[in-house]
Amino acid sequence: MKVRGTVEFRDVEMGVWVLVGEDGRTYQIAGGRSSLLKEGQRVEIDGDVDDAAIGISMVGPVLRVRGYKVL
Amino acid sequence: MRSAWWHSWSGVALLLVFGCAPRPAHSKLTPPGTSGGSAVPHALVVDFRDGTPPEEVAERARRWGLSLHFNSVEGTRSGITIADGVEDVEQTLARIRGDADVEEAEPLVQVQALGFTPNDPEFPRQWNLRMIHMPEAWERSRGKGVVVAVIDTGIAYEDRGEYVQVPDLAGARFVPGYDFVHDSEHPNDDNGHGTHVAGTIAQRTNNGVGVAGIAFEARLMPLKVLDRAGMGNSADIADAIRWAVDHGAKVLNLSLGGPGYSAVMERAVAYARQKGAVVVCAAGNAGVGQVAYPAAYAGAVAVGAVGPDGQLAPYSSWGEALDILAPGGNTKLGPGNGILQATIDRTDFRKPVLAEYQGTSMATPHVAGVAALLFAAGAATPDEVEKALFDGASSEGAWSPRAGHGRLDALGALQALGKGAAPVDWSPLLWSAALLVLLLLSLKAKTRPGYLNVLLNPATLVPLLVSTVGLWFLKLLWQRFVGHPPAAAEVLSFPLPDWERILFGRGRLASPLMYSALIPGAAALLTLRWRTLRPVVAGLSLGFAGFLLYAAWAKAPGIAYLPFTFLARPWLVLNGVLAALVCRALLRREARR
Repeated sequence: MKVRGTVEFRDVEMGVWVLVGEDGRTYQIAGGRSSLLKEGQRVEIDGDVDDAAIGISMVGPVLRVRGYKVL
Repeated sequence: MRSAWWHSWSGVALLLVFGCAPRPAHSKLTPPGTSGGSAVPHALVVDFRDGTPPEEVAERARRWGLSLHFNSVEGTRSGITIADGVEDVEQTLARIRGDADVEEAEPLVQVQALGFTPNDPEFPRQWNLRMIHMPEAWERSRGKGVVVAVIDTGIAYEDRGEYVQVPDLAGARFVPGYDFVHDSEHPNDDNGHGTHVAGTIAQRTNNGVGVAGIAFEARLMPLKVLDRAGMGNSADIADAIRWAVDHGAKVLNLSLGGPGYSAVMERAVAYARQKGAVVVCAAGNAGVGQVAYPAAYAGAVAVGAVGPDGQLAPYSSWGEALDILAPGGNTKLGPGNGILQATIDRTDFRKPVLAEYQGTSMATPHVAGVAALLFAAGAATPDEVEKALFDGASSEGAWSPRAGHGRLDALGALQALGKGAAPVDWSPLLWSAALLVLLLLSLKAKTRPGYLNVLLNPATLVPLLVSTVGLWFLKLLWQRFVGHPPAAAEVLSFPLPDWERILFGRGRLASPLMYSALIPGAAALLTLRWRTLRPVVAGLSLGFAGFLLYAAWAKAPGIAYLPFTFLARPWLVLNGVLAALVCRALLRREARR
């Protein structure tokens, strides 16, 4: 699925990159290169939502990145 | 008729007596013991009238030429300010004391707190441990011998291969654990999260190195279920939960979570609880009104986070499943406001560091640590531990979705332990008795049964007892003469509206169906057909009315499924009144007969 939104760094736990989606949800970004992970960058991520993933960040569902484009 | 009036008036007297009964205390903490004191040079304390606004204080500070500042977060409420660097304290005080807004002004006195202050050099930076009154709590318990499982990214507990032991964990007590990610018996940490969490629980303390931990005489069980990126799956976590309790863990710390429900994990949590372990989980960091799993499962203690100001941290999730708040830090308030612990560097796991993190993961081990203190202090069951945690928490009222039962307090919890020895709360019964008087007074003499005629009729009295205090004596008699009471006796020894809690446990919301006039109303319909049931249903309705109105008055507990928390009390009052009206109608018909 494709989600548009803004990339943000959240200072919780060990630190985590999230996508604040235009769909109103916040996703924990899993994977993706450093060119994706830039504070405030607007992107469209093509990826899979892994609702079953469990981890230390607990900021929202995990979005496993397949590809993305900068908007 | 005279006799009826006599009963009524004696009832009014009863009402007055019960109306003045003390309300249940909301776990306000008594100040820790203090001894002696000496004046701090060039410093003074000024106590303004309560609620004096900060601008007024700032204006006075300018006028008096002092650097007055509020003493703590309480300051804006209590009006207590302090100033240092005062040249002539006595002369300044003489000037200040004339001010109309000043209640007291005096030299600042250094007070030696009675408590255990560890010699760990970074302990002064651990505001989180002072917030939960650890120095005083350490005088009572240090968690001796209790096994606490840390189900996380592992713990940096041994020097092995490329893994290192964090120096401040040298000498801490460990029991064997397991690495479910790599299927190995060496659950070392390659992330840093688990070590940080474990440190808060049982860091080596009073060793002159680094920082302190809460239950430093407890034993840590490292269980690695999360990989280097801090991610894992429900199967490993469910396995680890079962492994932990099967190997003697009494407290399980799960500073992890996700949005997805897993029946496998929920069953594992239930298993742990049934085996006598407390399962403490992080509420989540999404800052939303929904608690993450596993914290949201029945049987888990869901922990939200507060910053050093005592306020819910902006990242902390909250909601219906929230149980308690604990220090998790708020770095938005600036450096020094996170939770400081010894761990390994997040970019190089061979490097020990002191790191300040924030999150509900950091709040969770505070509760787990205090749970270990409670077990070591004599708590026997997870129910007892939870009750002490919740009763001892500092709170501004009843349970709420943004605060749970309040903010963790280690000293308060230890003081609350064992206080629940009296299992029967008579208040709902007294409320019912008082209500009965009012109901009888509202009836005309012709249709008014005598007060004692109602109360002394077993057909009325038994349902009244069942719905207000439960058949508490069943459980006690069973324990005394037979042994461990069966589940049925447990059920019957709760007030009827609480019977559903047998299924869902303590600390969750009450069901709006049980906490309502539904049962008395439905029972009243039966009396249309079977008139002999009238006294029974009258007793039941009276009991419900007393129970619900008492619950509303005592602001407890929260009601599930209501869209707003503030609706809980109107709901209880409305249904209490309805139940009372049912009782009144039945009493009147019964008297007419």
